[in-house]
Amino acid sequence: MAASAAAVGAALLGGPVRAADTAPAADDTPPGVLSAELAWQHWTLNCQGCHRPDGSGSPATAPGLAGTVARFLSVAGGREYLGRVPGVATSPLSDADLSEVMNWMLWRFDREHVPANFQPFTAAEIGELRRRPLRLEASQVRAELLKKADESAGP
Amino acid sequence: MRVAQFDQWAEKVVRGFASRTSRRSVFTLLGGLLAGAASVPLLPMARAADAEPGAADPNSGQAPPQDRGNPQDPGDPTKCDYWRYCAIDGSLCSCYGGSVNSCPPGTEMSPVTWIGTCRNPADERNYIISYNDCCGGVVWGRCACHNNQGDRPIVRPSANNDITWCFGTKSQSYTCSTAIILGAALAQK
Repeated sequence: MAASAAAVGAALLGGPVRAADTAPAADDTPPGVLSAELAWQHWTLNCQGCHRPDGSGSPATAPGLAGTVARFLSVAGGREYLGRVPGVATSPLSDADLSEVMNWMLWRFDREHVPANFQPFTAAEIGELRRRPLRLEASQVRAELLKKADESAGP
Repeated sequence: MRVAQFDQWAEKVVRGFASRTSRRSVFTLLGGLLAGAASVPLLPMARAADAEPGAADPNSGQAPPQDRGNPQDPGDPTKCDYWRYCAIDGSLCSCYGGSVNSCPPGTEMSPVTWIGTCRNPADERNYIISYNDCCGGVVWGRCACHNNQGDRPIVRPSANNDITWCFGTKSQSYTCSTAIILGAALAQK
């Protein structure tokens, strides 16, 4: 299915589709995700426009995720931050769909920083976190959490 | 034919030509050829092939059609009713020397974008379309196209197509929009 979708896309584009833009392989389904293809589609339609296909983000729009996003899981308050950042908390996705996108995104963009004991986000947890969205303080909270993550990682 | 024979044949031809022709007539012939060659570019002829692909006709302001005859991707990307433009808001890059997938020369594609879905009439499937803006070029206001399928109010900026997405580019001046296929959307259940 994913391969056929990519093939059709490539045929319509008249050239190869960039790897980061293509739907994931069906067997690359991370924990806490029922359908990686559906999670990819939700990500593409709701998040990718600003965070960019490779998760690199941009200073002018949305912070980068690649190589960073799962680092929040290793510091106190980081997991809650991920469910409260404005882009997540105000997403039009349902709690269930959003929790799958979160789990897929951590796997897709920062697998190496996902802790071994990571428990996937659930719909109930995301539903609770997004009711308390961060607003203007989000960037400051982010900077403090990343500083803590740097300190705990050591030199 | 050996070399000696060829020499004899060539000498015969040249001598015959010299005996029948005056110097003045040779100069007349050469002059005529020169004048004729100079006038060839002045003759009326089709020059569409010389223009940059997709560039507008300087007289009419209309872009030449770009229907590529691909049955999987039907329609003309220089026209607003092309299927990929169901949620576009702006000007069509196909009319500016770019294409449905690429920016015109002298512009830069925005790395951030507004993304929607459109139904392809060829297979009746939905495809995910990225409307990357091209920024930093001259604004001609040609081929304006405003379709709003899936557009949401400005309070939801990530799903609003009125926004100019020229962020992260050297220039924040909008020129036109592309409509790039990212993949086939999953069938709705």
